[in-house]
Amino acid sequence: MRDETNAPLAGFTVVEHAAGVAASYAGRMMAVMGATVIKVEPPGEGSALRRAEPLLTQQPAASALFHYLNAGKRFVTCDLESAQGRGLLSEIMARAELFIDDTPVSRRPALQLDAPAIDARHPQLVFLSVLPFGAAGPHADYTAYELNVFHAGGEGYLMPNGLTLETFPERPPVKIYGHFAELIGGTSAVCAGISALLVRDQVGGQFVDVSVQDANISVGCFAIQRLGDGVLENRHGRSFKYGGVLECSDGYVGVLTLEQRQWEGLVKLVGDPEWALDPALRDPLERSRRGAEINRRLRAWAKTQRVDDLVKQGQALSVPLAKYNGPLDILESEQSKARGVFAPLELSALGSVPAFTAPFQLNGEALALTRAAVEPGADNQAIWCEWLGHNTAELAQWEHHGTI
Amino acid sequence: MGPSEPVAKPATAMPPLHGVRVADFTLHAAGPFCAHILGLLGAECIKVETVERPDIFRKPHPVYGRMGAATFDQVASNKLSVQLNLKQPRGIELAKRLVAVSDIVAESFRPGVMERLGLNYEALKAVKRDIVMVSVSASGQTGPERGYAGYAPLFGAAGGLGTLTGYEDGPPTEIRHVMDHSTGLTAAMATLAAYLRKKRTGAGQHVDVAARDVACGFIGDALLQFAATGIAPRRTGNDAPQIAPHNVYPCAGEDSWVSIVVSTDTEWRAFANALERPALLTDPRFASAHTRWVHRRELDTEISAWTHAHTREAVTRILQAAGVAAFPSYTAQDIVDDPHLNARGTIESRVGPEGEARKVVGPPWRLSRTPAKLDGWTPKLGEHNHYVFGQLLGLSDEEIEELIAARVIY
Repeated sequence: MRDETNAPLAGFTVVEHAAGVAASYAGRMMAVMGATVIKVEPPGEGSALRRAEPLLTQQPAASALFHYLNAGKRFVTCDLESAQGRGLLSEIMARAELFIDDTPVSRRPALQLDAPAIDARHPQLVFLSVLPFGAAGPHADYTAYELNVFHAGGEGYLMPNGLTLETFPERPPVKIYGHFAELIGGTSAVCAGISALLVRDQVGGQFVDVSVQDANISVGCFAIQRLGDGVLENRHGRSFKYGGVLECSDGYVGVLTLEQRQWEGLVKLVGDPEWALDPALRDPLERSRRGAEINRRLRAWAKTQRVDDLVKQGQALSVPLAKYNGPLDILESEQSKARGVFAPLELSALGSVPAFTAPFQLNGEALALTRAAVEPGADNQAIWCEWLGHNTAELAQWEHHGTI
Repeated sequence: MGPSEPVAKPATAMPPLHGVRVADFTLHAAGPFCAHILGLLGAECIKVETVERPDIFRKPHPVYGRMGAATFDQVASNKLSVQLNLKQPRGIELAKRLVAVSDIVAESFRPGVMERLGLNYEALKAVKRDIVMVSVSASGQTGPERGYAGYAPLFGAAGGLGTLTGYEDGPPTEIRHVMDHSTGLTAAMATLAAYLRKKRTGAGQHVDVAARDVACGFIGDALLQFAATGIAPRRTGNDAPQIAPHNVYPCAGEDSWVSIVVSTDTEWRAFANALERPALLTDPRFASAHTRWVHRRELDTEISAWTHAHTREAVTRILQAAGVAAFPSYTAQDIVDDPHLNARGTIESRVGPEGEARKVVGPPWRLSRTPAKLDGWTPKLGEHNHYVFGQLLGLSDEEIEELIAARVIY
């Protein structure tokens, strides 16, 4: 962020001990919003996510996912299996306002990372626990990856709809790209963590139990609402009756007309063909009933059209239409440039690369990425010595013993 | 604390946003979800609507197959409802008075509308110096596409998330309500940060959230990969590079599925042993993570044959006991029936004002000292007119009646 005073979390210190995507993303968003986030990794190769696909380079393996999730943080190493390592972690906790952790519940006591142990030593610290199924309940110790939590949250069962489902009605449900469910979990965690910071002066630290499954059920709440209305949704029943994905001569667009004037705009866009001027189709309920027929017509017409023309002409007629953009479209889009959502990230092997910052502006300014992720322990000297006051002899000794 | 025990620390305070007031001008799904999150955290959310412009849950939704109003709206369930006609100058005046007694303003009009109404950030700052304002829109308040209309699947399209979602040999795929609600969740995150800053510095802030950029945020790794290497990621169905098995498998019963992921060699050995198929461990096709990935379709066929003979629950039980990640593909019914979710309060049983019982989604977090809560029911349109215009803004009953007659409160 150009204006440092806009960074809302400036002045806060967060310690992040995260092996997974959700907790790492929570730390990432806090860093982008101005917090000093210190990521604690095991000595040696560091987090396994450093080698996770998609990769930027094969040898040595450098992960695009890791770089995306960890921009803006500080990197220290610390072996929590050793008492000395646990002591070091406790030292930075004492200087922090918030601690993010995704250690499985059953492993926490051995590492002194259970809520009572942390509360006893650091009563003012907010302990933000981010786990696939949360820290309490019968499934708390279940193992899960993105695909599992996506399906545990209910949206997995309901994907896909529309054209994809019509094309492959018999296939298993399809996931949303990447780490959607885990990033939802991380975003939800930031909401809860900031909330605890808001009341820290009044109530001190507290234990905040975030579940990625809960977060996904929350954003998927319409399915529960519909169930309460007597409708158990499935992939087929949830498809929009008409509109959706249209294949053009040079790509795909999406169209959705929920309001009468939008439908009328679409009819104009198609060129007022006879079928669309049928007076019966002025009735939205009739359009729903004849959705398959409308889609046949729209799909035949769209194949003769170019994507950019449709989007420009459609939006001018107030028809909600969008191109299915690929990464190149997004990076080069005038909208992305005007919003400043990409900022240069200095990657050691690749030079300066534009990286996505955040999906919001504050007081008219885009957010910034202060630094790229570096090697495990690259900030050991800065944190353990310059910040905490240990000397370089101690540092050398800890390195020798594999503590850091 | 054992995994099956509830968090024992007693609550000692009110919810974190107790005493915070939100003037909520949002409609549809994304904006209201933002205010809903703030409401769950304890803010008093005052939802502004009119007879002519009620929220979508009060209307039929035929494209979606709903032919009448919803009987309950999850994302309005913690809110108060007032009617205020912003087409009338006196409506604008009252809106400003509402903002003057609020801490946060949320809106999701098309960019430019709040300015036209005289309710943009600068105007509201003049009314309440330290106001935090959050604007939620398709493409943001600035840029050449700021005026573009959109709904969830179109945010997913423009932001690239829908483009990368789908089967390898199929078209791009619509991202549905979760796109709206994740936009709202992101807006709530930024708004909470801005409010925390306001509490520390006394300065308000305007949070401008673009739904298409929220979709971009979900593919941030792919965008970085492309920018750095020129390799454009593609749709890959349920595949994850170099991880197999990684799929959704059919189980006994109709449309019944289980998700299974085996990421490490340790998990692979545990998986083969749990299936009582030691031959998998000596099969050269499956000898390493890379060869398992190369032969993933053959692996999928073998696994499907096994899962098909079991229920989702049995597969999950067997594999989780072995430390392998497996979980049923949950329907909404599965979610409301799940003992874990009921124990956590993620799912709550509620009874409405007319005695109607239903399951609802509770707060998605457990804060040990300042718990979030869902404590209302969907308000009737204008149900809280007298509280807000009378008690909060100090209008007399006569003044309120006159404003109703003049269709200012409408």
